[in-house]
Formats: sequence, structure tokens, C-alpha cells
Amino acid sequence: MSRTLNVVRMQLINKQTYIWIPLIILAGAFALSLAVYAIIPSDGVKIGGGSQAPLWYFGVVGVQALTLTFPFSQAMSVTRRAFFLGTLLTAAITSAILAAIFVVGGLVEKATNGWGMNGWFFWLDWIWASGALGAGLFYFVLALMFFIVGFWAATIYKRFGSLWLTVILVGLGVLFVGALFVIGRLDAWAAVFTWFATQGAVGLALWGLALIVVLAAASFGTLRRATP
Amino acid sequence: MIEEGRPIFLQIAEGVEAAIVDGSLAEEAQAPSTNELAAFHRINPATAAKGVALLVDQGVLYKKRGIGMFVASGARERLLEARRAAFAERYIGPLLVEAHALGLGPDELSAIIRERATAPTTSTTSEGITP
Amino acid sequence: MSHVIEVSHLTKRYREAVAVDDVDFAIQKDKIYGLLGRNGAGKTTVMSILTAQNFATRGTVRVFGEDPYENAQVLSRMCFVRESQKYPDDALPLHAFRTARLFFPNWNQDFADRLIAEFQLPMKTRIKKLSRGQLSAVGVIIGLASRAEITFFDEPYLGLDAVARQIFYDRLLEDYAEHPRTVILSSHLIDEISHLIERVLVIDQGRIIMDEDTDTVRGLAANIVGDSAAVDAFTDGRDVIHRESLGRVASVTVLGALTDADREQLRAAGLDVGPVSLQQLIVRTTQHAGTAGEAHAEGVLR
Repeated sequence: MSRTLNVVRMQLINKQTYIWIPLIILAGAFALSLAVYAIIPSDGVKIGGGSQAPLWYFGVVGVQALTLTFPFSQAMSVTRRAFFLGTLLTAAITSAILAAIFVVGGLVEKATNGWGMNGWFFWLDWIWASGALGAGLFYFVLALMFFIVGFWAATIYKRFGSLWLTVILVGLGVLFVGALFVIGRLDAWAAVFTWFATQGAVGLALWGLALIVVLAAASFGTLRRATP
Repeated sequence: MIEEGRPIFLQIAEGVEAAIVDGSLAEEAQAPSTNELAAFHRINPATAAKGVALLVDQGVLYKKRGIGMFVASGARERLLEARRAAFAERYIGPLLVEAHALGLGPDELSAIIRERATAPTTSTTSEGITP
Repeated sequence: MSHVIEVSHLTKRYREAVAVDDVDFAIQKDKIYGLLGRNGAGKTTVMSILTAQNFATRGTVRVFGEDPYENAQVLSRMCFVRESQKYPDDALPLHAFRTARLFFPNWNQDFADRLIAEFQLPMKTRIKKLSRGQLSAVGVIIGLASRAEITFFDEPYLGLDAVARQIFYDRLLEDYAEHPRTVILSSHLIDEISHLIERVLVIDQGRIIMDEDTDTVRGLAANIVGDSAAVDAFTDGRDVIHRESLGRVASVTVLGALTDADREQLRAAGLDVGPVSLQQLIVRTTQHAGTAGEAHAEGVLR
């Protein structure tokens, strides 16, 4: 157990990766979004995609956690299990921090009615429909999911090589497109949208958690036989 | 210092023996420790220990508990004895072979030896060496 | 004599080749071993498998009597920093050492600090920006200061200049004398490390072709030089592992300790006897094993 916690400490020894860079990206995206909103001469609702930026970065962190930190952890004589759990724990902690920032930011944003510009970065109505806690859960799951997707993809790459990773991603892509096709054929788009709406942010977050668990289990299975 | 092609522990033992024979390491004096020997020659301490153990087995060194290795009394004389016994084999043998190749018989050899032994040599006296 | 590592029928097969071929050996406690062999002979593969970083195709490995795979108890007592070790992105040497301090129970910071000063390692430069020698120094310092009960050095001093290498050898011997532990040093610079290692383990094309005390091996061969007819007459019936000739002069490396009678015979025949360095012996044995077939080489030296 203590070696697992030491893995968390190891990941956080260099504060840049998990703390500073995500914050800088967030701050940068936020500032940029506000600047853009200020320039737009409209009084209508303004929404950009800026808040996604730190999330995509979490995907990158997930990849690097495996490609660079895993080999080093092996040199530190850490078991794969301790590395996996410790790294996941670190990702959860930093996802929680990011989610907290989003929640606080969202509350301030709402109170100032979009920073006095009707410009929205943290607050999206449908995410906040179940309140602050629901939004927090949603952002937490989103960040963690980006991380685990990056981590999972990297384990496939490490263990099986880029060929198989491509095959799997293409396969998933095909499944996705196939699903879209089937939905279209069954004329079920309305039903799909209704389903998403009724799930709400919290519901989607729970589905997201399920996906995270699946990807985490798959990553660990692959990691067990990976070589640094 | 350390030669190739021969076990190192033997060379360590020989080094200590040479110091005893030429008097720089006196009887009942403390011999260099294993770690000192290892550090000086830059060798594995276990190898140095093996050389020291050999000398203990041969009665050249003995151990004083808690202090270290010491040169046994009479060690110098015993070492000289052993070297005298080996002298003919190690030095005279090759000498005779070379002399034979050059066509020098025992009488001529004796004459050369007598001449050399009485003449001053620069390698064994310090007078010949100018600072 | 206790064995800290026991390897039995270890095999590692890749799709194209066999990297480790049915290997057996045992590592004794608190000795310095040289794991010697050519590039690609299997040294790194063996060490990776021993530390559970890579996996055997067949065979068993026991470290401290247990299987090292996912075994934190056993793994924490070992240290293996490999030749081209990867470090987390943007990490500084400072971070690497802080991390090592977390995971190696015997880590000694004072020792690490002294080594950092001696190797003149810049602590605030990113590891990915370090020179080859500085990068090696990071690995060497981790290996030394970890004071792990079993420490592997996988040619980590590549890139270190001669002065830095001497520092490494000196500190290793010094620290080993004060804090004995099992050390396995893989290298192809055999003559440089020949005085440090107590036992020699030579691996060639995935097979162990030598597993001996260094001092035993040092007396194992001799170089006979002289008139080729006389040389051949002497070496008839003996194991010859190397032969060179120039005109009527032949130089032959012969296996087997020379007795006094042998030396007498050589003197009489006007032949010169020279020592064979450990590196020459191993190189020539390896070359010979390659050409003469494995069965012969196995029988000759094991």
C-alpha cells in the first residue's frame, strides 16, 4: 500500500505534468475565450470550446504516464500493480482538482451572468441541470476518461505495437459509424436524443464511470505483460 | 603492478611476501588490511582477502582478533628458505638454457658471475643514481 | 554458500530468434559478477528477466527463493538501471533521485550527493537535455546509492569518459567493501573491469559458455610465440583457441595451465610464453566457440 502511495508521490514530484501545465492550459484557454467574447459585438449567448483544452491535455498525460513514467517505475523496482493503482489515483486526484475548479468557476460565471458578457466557459445549462455536485461529477468523470483513454491506447501500443493500435482504433471507428448507420436506418435519432436528455449530466457521468472501469481493467490486463 | 594471465590473489600474496623479505614489513608488524590492499591495487576486496588468507594458511601472517593481520615471527627466514629452494629452478634453469644457446660452458659462466658479483652495479646501490 | 538468484532452463524466444537458450546458473550472495558477452549476446535480456521487467518463454527464475514477478518484497531489494533508461518527460536529475529515495529502502542520500559532486552532474538541467555521459551518470548514481541487495549495472557507463569510469569503479569497490552486496556488472570492456569482478559469467548467442572464478580463469591460458614448427609440436594434443602466423613465426593461444615441466620444455624449444588478458581469453574463447560448435566449447570450460 505504501509503495502505491509512493507512486502518487513519484508522479507528483515533478509538479509540472499533473498540476502546472493543466492549470496553465486552463488559464490560457479561459483568458483566450474571454478575450474572444469581449471582441464579439453581440449580446447573445456566447459559447466556445475553450474549456475542452485541459481535457485533451489529460489524454496526453495519460499517454505519457505509460510511455515515459512506466519504464522509469520499472527501474525503481515498482510492481506493475502499484504503478497502475498509484497512477490512476494520481489521475483521480488531479481530475477532482480540475473538476473543483470548473465548479467554482461555473458558480462565479453564473453569478456574474457570463462575466458580464453573456460569455460562457464553465457553465453549460444541461451540465448544471442537477446542480453543482452533478456538474462536478460530470467534469471529474470527463477528465478521468480522457486520461484513461490515453493510458489505455498507450498500453495497447506498448504491448502490441502501432499496427494493432491502429487496427483497434479503426475497428472502434467502424463500430461507431455502423451504430450511426443503424440508428439512421431505424429512424431512431429522436429516441437517441431523448435518451441522452433524460440521462442528464449525472446519468452520462455514471455511464462514463462504467466506461472508465472497463478501460482501466483492460489497461491493467495489458500492462501486466508489458515490458518497459 | 598487477600482471595479466596470473591469479590476482597470488600476486597480492607475493607482494606482501616481497615486502617481508626486503624488510619493509617487519615481523610482528601489522600487515596492510584487506581493504587497504584492495583500494591500493584497485581490486575486489574478496580477491585481496583470498591472498591474505593464503598467507595465513602458510603461516606467514596471523590474525589478532579485533585488530588485524600481523607478520608472524620467523616468517622472513621461512620465505627466504622457500626462495632459496626455488632459486635453482627459477633463475639457474633459464640461465643455463640461454648459456647453452650461446655456447657458454659452466666454467665461463662461473667467471662471468664472479666478475659481475664483485663489480659495482647501479641497480642495487643508490650511489649511481644522481638526483 | 547461499544463492540469491537461481536460474533454471531459462529460455527467451522471440519470433525471429532465440535470445536466451536454456540457461542455468546461480548467483552467490555478496559477490561481484561480470556478465560478459558481445552486443546482442543476451546480457540485457537475462537481466530484464531476472528483474521481472521481461518475461521468460520457458524456465524458472528464483530471487531470494521466490518468483520476482509482481513481487514487491523481492523487487524492492533489487535495482536495475539499464543502459538507455527512459525518464519521465521534463524530469530533472533531482526528481529522479528524489524518486529513487522513495523506493529503495537502503538509499543513502549523502552517498548520492558525493557522487553527484564527483560526476559533476547538473541537477537543474532536464534529463532529456543531458549529454550521453551525464545521462549515464544519473543511472550509475542511482545504482550505487540505492545500495540494493542485488544491483545490476547494464553497461551504464557507456558515454562516460575514462576519468568518470574510473570514478565509478573506485566508488563501487569502496562502497562494496563497506556495504557488501551482490553486484552484477554487464560489460564488453572486459579488461577494465577484470580486477573488480570475483566471478565471470560469459554469455554468447544466448548460452552460458563460462561460469568461473575470475582468478581461476586468469591462469587458464597462455600465448606461445615462436617458430611455427616448434609451436605446433608443443601444442599438439592441447586445446588451441587462437592461432596467428606471420611467415615462420606463429602465435598460438593455448588453454590449460602450464606446469613447470611445460615451461622447461618451452624454454628448451626457444619459445616465448606470454600472459593472456581476461579480455583476450574471453574474446578468443567466444570466437572459437562460434566456429567450433557449442558442444566443444561447453566441454572445454564448464
